[in-house]
Amino acid sequence: MGWLSMSSSKHSRGFKGVLQEVLSYKSAVLGVLILVFLIVLSIYTIVTIPLPEAINAWRSSEMWTKNPRNAQPEWIEVFIGKRLPRTITVSLANAEVSRRLLGDGRIAASWVAYFNYDYDDFPSELIVFFNSSYSEKPVVDIYWLRPDGEEFLVKKHTLRRPDDRLYLSNDLGLELRLSGLFESKVGGKPNFMVTVEKGLFAEYSLDPRVLKGRYGIRFETILNENDVFDAELVVYGSVYGLAGTDHLRRPLIIGLLWGTPIAMSFGLTTAILTTVLNLIIGTVSGWYLGKVDTVIQRIVEINAILPFLPILILLTTFYKIDLVVILVSVIVLNIFSLGIKGTRILVMQIKSYPYIEAAQAYGASNGRLILFYVIPKILPPVVPGMISAVPGFVFLEAGLSYLGLGDPFLPTWGKIISDAQSNGAFYKGLYYWVLEPAFMLILTAIAFALIGMALEKIVNPKLKEL
Amino acid sequence: MSSDGKLLELEDLKKWFEIRRGFLSSKVYYVKAVDGVTFSLDEGKAVSLVGESGSGKTTLGKTIIRLYEPNGGRILFQGKDVTHIKANDLKWYRRMTGLVQQDPFGAFASHFTIFRSLEEPLLIHNAVESKEKRAERVFKVLEEVRLTPVEDFAYKYPHMLSGGQLQRVAIARAIILEPKLIIADEPVSMLDASVRIEILTLLRRLQERLRLSVIYITHDLATTRFFSEWALIMYAGHVMEKASTQEVLRNPLHPYTKALLTATPDPNPENRNRFKEVPPGEPPALVNPPICCRFSPRCPLAFDKCFKEEPPEFEATSGHWVKCWLYERS
Ligand SMILES: Nc1ncnc2c1ncn2[C@@H]1O[C@H](COP(=O)(O)OP(=O)(O)OP(=O)(O)O)[C@@H](O)[C@H]1O
Ligand code: SF4
Ligand SMILES: [Mg+2]
Repeated sequence: MGWLSMSSSKHSRGFKGVLQEVLSYKSAVLGVLILVFLIVLSIYTIVTIPLPEAINAWRSSEMWTKNPRNAQPEWIEVFIGKRLPRTITVSLANAEVSRRLLGDGRIAASWVAYFNYDYDDFPSELIVFFNSSYSEKPVVDIYWLRPDGEEFLVKKHTLRRPDDRLYLSNDLGLELRLSGLFESKVGGKPNFMVTVEKGLFAEYSLDPRVLKGRYGIRFETILNENDVFDAELVVYGSVYGLAGTDHLRRPLIIGLLWGTPIAMSFGLTTAILTTVLNLIIGTVSGWYLGKVDTVIQRIVEINAILPFLPILILLTTFYKIDLVVILVSVIVLNIFSLGIKGTRILVMQIKSYPYIEAAQAYGASNGRLILFYVIPKILPPVVPGMISAVPGFVFLEAGLSYLGLGDPFLPTWGKIISDAQSNGAFYKGLYYWVLEPAFMLILTAIAFALIGMALEKIVNPKLKEL
Repeated sequence: MSSDGKLLELEDLKKWFEIRRGFLSSKVYYVKAVDGVTFSLDEGKAVSLVGESGSGKTTLGKTIIRLYEPNGGRILFQGKDVTHIKANDLKWYRRMTGLVQQDPFGAFASHFTIFRSLEEPLLIHNAVESKEKRAERVFKVLEEVRLTPVEDFAYKYPHMLSGGQLQRVAIARAIILEPKLIIADEPVSMLDASVRIEILTLLRRLQERLRLSVIYITHDLATTRFFSEWALIMYAGHVMEKASTQEVLRNPLHPYTKALLTATPDPNPENRNRFKEVPPGEPPALVNPPICCRFSPRCPLAFDKCFKEEPPEFEATSGHWVKCWLYERS
């Protein structure tokens, strides 16, 4: 009877009153602020990147070819203190073109495109994307024009297909030639490995320093009459956007953003449904007693000794996994929990109260009594626990994704961490890859934990002294 | 059976509680809380049910309005057998009967406003068709129990009201469906002495005005005179004496009733005729009681027969029944 009579006045406060009281705790204010932020973020995400688009983007490899691979977030500069390169796309749209008609009707053409490079670090990768049509495979000479006036042939390349790609960074021959060139210019072996990027962008000195200024790239080729030639140089940076990219060049921001509504809805849905279902089961058990009660109690006891995670893993290997299957299995495995015993005893106690008898005397049915007379009484004390349970379910979803048991299509925080782990993020020093989703997980957990704790103190005033 | 003005008739009504003693024991015992009660109540009349604690008054009351399932005997309501009715019939019976409990503080769901508490019976029985009519009815009944201005009370929660006010709401709730019969189970015993009379007056006035039949359960013989036409004296699950209230108070016949009314020189006039725990001794355990007069262990007048056989009810004088061998006509 203790807390029931104590909390009897609480029922009358309504949502506004409870919110006011919650906000009287500083820690809860922080929790509410974080929660509001997460909700706004979720809504923003859902509105700006519709789910099919997000899934498509997350699964597409073509969409992101012009993004750097494993680029850190741009704000990392603050900690490093250098200007790190962004990705530069050098197209022939504004190139200086010259054409010369040859005797046989062919055309000798050349394009020069310039771009400024004044970052403190070298690009991460260089790729030339061709986009041509031809009757006969053209040979393209690519020249590099440095700010110091230096100019040399980078590559003589015969197009293999109209949309050929030239991965300059992977060209070992080029690397060797650049290395030789470098040594002859400096007059000795430099103190660093001359990669293609460094060979093209470094000052001629023993230490790796970026030569800043205006660079140019020149394409020279001989075309037939109706041939079209277009090319694009992508100088990949080492930072990208607010969240960086992963090993498939995908912007992590998509996963981080979409992870928010998914984690929140998964966590809240499972927490609310398991709590409410357990509450109803416990109430039915304590109200009807008899055979129903016996059966429920046995199920609870069996459930208590069943191993939860192995069963979940087993289930997910048998069924096509999507978020709904995971949701349902998590709920099914979490109902009939031991908490039912407490509810049951509480309900047995409430059932003996005079107001229940009074209601029976004026004809209230069992369903009505349970729904309007019992549940509202026992609901408030379980709300804090319900809120506090949200992080657990959010982490569970992340954990399952990490184990490869998540929804394969949805971008979630757990999936990002899983990708990071299987691609050796920490080993390669790509900390942002793990820390960003981990930060979001912890932020969510803290929000719900803080609010849950404040609610707990309100519902159970004895805790205030602790 | 014809019901010439009779609202309620009990015939040999029994309510036994089943209990199992000991772990794994299949042996069943019965607490014979109500063990063969017969009486009838006219429409618009009140009867007092008097007896010491544990005599089965509450159990009888709850059995009559079918909160308990009777184990034997019959209940006739307006001539209709309601002993074991179910579902819709039972719902109708719930509508025809009302209950006022002893503890006004426990009688209301703390999360309902007074308005909602009063609205519930109407909602359950779909008694009034529209929302406006429901509100009208709730306000009217609050006025009826003198909780005015009604708006001041309707939207309060139970913990904001005093015991006396809550008991008025309880009465309002009991009459809101316009029942024929009200069970008032010690409706004032938990209230301040100062408001007891007010509540009883209110109940009596409503009973007369609405032509209600009331079963008034009490410890307090003094209030029966003021309240009821009839009186039943209960002891250990049996009705020991029944007659008009006047008759019982003026001319008690059963040794138990006499003991209750023994005129001890009490300086406080308010305590005269007050229930007293005499004679010494405890009422018998109601678990499988022996077949005899249940008062015999404490009765100063007990003789051989009393220990061997249970006395039937004898009509000592016209309309005055006593369950005692002393009144057997030889
Ligand atoms: N649900 C129950 N199960 C078992 N025994 C019960 C139950 N309810 C009442 N009894 C027993 O039946 C007997 C009569 O109880 P009851 O409450 O009817 O007495 P009462 O006359 O109303 O007493 P009081 O004046 O104290 O209210 C008591 O011995 C009691 O212990
Ligand atoms: S029957 Fe006997 S024991 Fe019982 S009350 Fe009468 S005289 Fe007393
Ligand atoms: Mg009682």
